[in-house]
Amino acid sequence: MIAMTSRPALARGVRLRNDPITGEPVLLFPEGVLPLDAATHDILLRCSCEATVAAIVLSLAEEYETDPATVRADVCECLTQLRQRMLVALRP
Amino acid sequence: MNYRPYLLLAEVTHRCPLHCPYCSNPVQYPGGRELAAAEWRRVFDEAAQLGVLHAGFSGGEPLLRADLAGLVAAARDAGLYTNLITSAVGLRRERAAQLRDAGLDSIQISFQSDQEALADQIAGTRAHALKLEAAKVARELGFPLTVNVVLHRANIGRLEQIISLAESLEAERLELANVQYYGWAYQNRAALLPTRSQIARAAEVVGARKKQLLGQMEILFVTPDYYSERPKPCMNGWATRFLTVNPVGDVLPCPTASAIPGLRFDNVRARPLAWIWSQSESFNRFRGTAWMPAPCCECPLREVDFGGCRCQAALIAGDAGATDPACALSPHRGKLTRFVDSVQEDAAADRPFAADAGRLLFRQNPNGSK
Repeated sequence: MIAMTSRPALARGVRLRNDPITGEPVLLFPEGVLPLDAATHDILLRCSCEATVAAIVLSLAEEYETDPATVRADVCECLTQLRQRMLVALRP
Repeated sequence: MNYRPYLLLAEVTHRCPLHCPYCSNPVQYPGGRELAAAEWRRVFDEAAQLGVLHAGFSGGEPLLRADLAGLVAAARDAGLYTNLITSAVGLRRERAAQLRDAGLDSIQISFQSDQEALADQIAGTRAHALKLEAAKVARELGFPLTVNVVLHRANIGRLEQIISLAESLEAERLELANVQYYGWAYQNRAALLPTRSQIARAAEVVGARKKQLLGQMEILFVTPDYYSERPKPCMNGWATRFLTVNPVGDVLPCPTASAIPGLRFDNVRARPLAWIWSQSESFNRFRGTAWMPAPCCECPLREVDFGGCRCQAALIAGDAGATDPACALSPHRGKLTRFVDSVQEDAAADRPFAADAGRLLFRQNPNGSK
């Protein structure tokens, strides 16, 4: 479960950058390279260690002009997967 | 189809203080001088221009290169992510700090087991205590830590304790890599291959601990292909994403490809990396699906497993262009199955490693160097 009050950040040793060949965002981590889709990229850009999950959801809902409840499910799913792979850390 | 490499494995030396009997280095080392720092710098620059984003520093033991920090800095200057794949022998605090200052992003340390005596027997040298110390140093300096343990008959029964060790070292990742049976490991496979029941038990342990450690430590474990029905998607397809540059500058589509008879490799001293990636005979030999024999060429999984591993096909089927014998559809699968069957009784799981050590071929260094 992802707590709405937790503050996500890139995990230690994980770098977010643009692929110089394609211009698309990628995550670099100890074991490899993960190309990012636009939605995941938007979430990761907000994982600043400062913003709570709740704040990230609101910010995205505003940007996409959509219902926060929908965004919230997607954000939780995405953060859960990234956390399982130790690409994102959640601070209380 | 346009292929583009993402990852470079930089094997900066074949020298190593360890003698693990499953080492993935070639049994026949290539002759020649190790690439100098300036040559590596050019390799990293050319790799980055080709699309490489990530460099693994491996060997042998990369720390045996006194100029390793300079090599790391060169890769970072080229914009690459840098991961050190090490035995950790020689990773003392000043050295680790020097690597951090050079821009090293992460460290992967190999452990041979959780118990010092067994671990040192497997490594053929006293290394375990040094590794524990180095893992602590890596943490204290803020590096992300991956623990890599190669699994075989003598240590797979200690999986529970091995996972606990990685947990106590606060590793972000634990790679439980079953031995792949090429090179030194192939010579020793009768003593190394775990039994069917050991593998089943290991999969249970991993499944339970993986759940429990979710979000704390990622555990990677793949069943060895001798025990599976389908081959592994080796290198994610030949020459599609990976490049290996070995210590003397040969460029390989996979780290063990030098074991394939008749395959000729181009060298960074003679050719630009971009030319090698697109033109080298060894890179094009098994690219795509056109090279595939039956049953691969008609198989719905041909773009899933890519026909499996070329090195294993060469080793077991005697033809690098054959279907990987790990596949149940390979006409050579019987050879693997008979071998697997032959070790089930011989391999009493509780026999001490020392009892098998006498028949193992431990890894030697190039030119007899220590």
